[in-house]
Amino acid sequence: MADVPKRKTTSLLLVTVAGLITAASLTHWLDTHTSAPDPTLQEQELYLSAGAARRMSLGFNALVADWYWMRSLQYVGRKILNAREHLELDDLGKLNLKLLAPMLDTATALDPEFIEAYEYAAIVLPPIDVNEAIRITRKGIDANPNAWRLYHQLGYIYWQQRDYATAARIYEQGAAISGAPEWMKAMKARMAVEGGSPATAREIYIRLYEQSGDQKIRDMAWRRLLQLDSAKEIENINKVLNAFRSRTGRCINSWTEIAPAFRAAGLGMDATGAPLDPTNMPYRLLVERCSVELAPQSEIPKH
Amino acid sequence: MFNLVLAIARNTFREAVRDRVLYNLVLFVMLLTGAAIFIGELSGGQERKIIVDLGLSAMLLFGVFIAIFVGVGLVYKEIERRTIYAIFSKPVGRGEFLVGKYLGLCLTLLVNVLVMGLGVCLALLYVNRGWDPLIISIWPSILLIYFELTIVTAVALLFSSFSSPALSALLTFLIFIIGHFSADLKNLSTLAPSAATRWLLAALYYILPNLANYSFIAGAAHGHSPDPTRLLAATVFAAVFVTVLLASATLVFSRRNFK
Repeated sequence: MADVPKRKTTSLLLVTVAGLITAASLTHWLDTHTSAPDPTLQEQELYLSAGAARRMSLGFNALVADWYWMRSLQYVGRKILNAREHLELDDLGKLNLKLLAPMLDTATALDPEFIEAYEYAAIVLPPIDVNEAIRITRKGIDANPNAWRLYHQLGYIYWQQRDYATAARIYEQGAAISGAPEWMKAMKARMAVEGGSPATAREIYIRLYEQSGDQKIRDMAWRRLLQLDSAKEIENINKVLNAFRSRTGRCINSWTEIAPAFRAAGLGMDATGAPLDPTNMPYRLLVERCSVELAPQSEIPKH
Repeated sequence: MFNLVLAIARNTFREAVRDRVLYNLVLFVMLLTGAAIFIGELSGGQERKIIVDLGLSAMLLFGVFIAIFVGVGLVYKEIERRTIYAIFSKPVGRGEFLVGKYLGLCLTLLVNVLVMGLGVCLALLYVNRGWDPLIISIWPSILLIYFELTIVTAVALLFSSFSSPALSALLTFLIFIIGHFSADLKNLSTLAPSAATRWLLAALYYILPNLANYSFIAGAAHGHSPDPTRLLAATVFAAVFVTVLLASATLVFSRRNFK
């Protein structure tokens, strides 16, 4: 008699475990035997507008904003992974990220103080939809008039569009906010005088790197700084190569022929004498053009 | 009289503990622990904000569920078990009974909210690898959540004084939803074409509690505290509104015949 409840318990446990295993197997079978979802359906407009989402979130708007924020990150991340090539965060125009703007718009409508979401919009959206990038960043400024960082982001968008006059005006407005750093003023002056110069680009990326709380944006700014460094190095190396060709009438056969010139210019070199880019990857020599370019394996952005 | 109310409140609290109401804390702790460990991978550097949003939203959600589902049973269970006869055979007034029940559930919610608040602070300590100013600045927002819960509890108690638990729960939940749509009621009251509709919507706006006034979770996650005047006004409103609801509940409950 005492065995009966024990047997019953064992049977029930077995049924539970077997049921769970069967359910998991069926789910797996369904996953593998269901045709891939229609990509056009996946890219359909969001069901809820930003305003409707705000109303329907009851007292949980902050949590729903976080959900939209994480969904935006997943959306961009998934597209980058599917692209199977290294893409910079500020150069995702070819990924068809048409849902990104509505998602960031909704996240910031639900939590108007979500500075990082505005910042993300200012960095990622311009190559996709520059008008939306400007609109969302301006919305952030309206909701957070004391957030000088947003003026920096908006100035960055206009700088990218080569609208240096508007960028200068935006930096001027941002610099007037109490607590804004001194460099905002300097940026205004630089933007007005030499908006398109590499020095301005360097300053912009240094400030993005320093100010951003998002590691991915910091990484992007860091790689853009390396790109500026390498552009300068490529210019110097090409000068040395051209000087050699003018002198000898041919391009170099081996790096050792011009190693002293590289040493004099302070360039790092590997064991073969090949000059190294800022990530310590050797530059690639293009003999027919007698010039160098970044190696394909280099992490530095190519454009 | 006050001792009687306190005795009923203590008893209601003990009953809630016996009914394992506070077991929701286990779920809350699991949720926050999971979030603290894994959210870093998904949040793009927003771990602290998400911990606060998630913690305080869960506090509100669990609190509302307790307020509604325990609140609607406060009176009904006593009638169902017929213990109400034993209570009213003693010198206990119906108002004292209701207020005692209400305070008992509010005490349960207070313990719940305090423990959850401490849980959020611990999660912030873990995520920030040390002291975080949010540990202090979230408490006014937690206080507002608690006040919202006291209002929802009073609403549940009012409905349960004359209706069945299922209907009371439904009606209380509707009031919770409408309470968060108050701004829309006000907008509609100015836009409605007919004067009667405008008047009705405006009346509803002023009669129903504007629970959006107690939502400060997003601000808390950014390190802000509610303006002291707003906090004081919300506190006074909660006290006044709860008093009105308890008075109405007593009025209805006094007329109920248990024979």
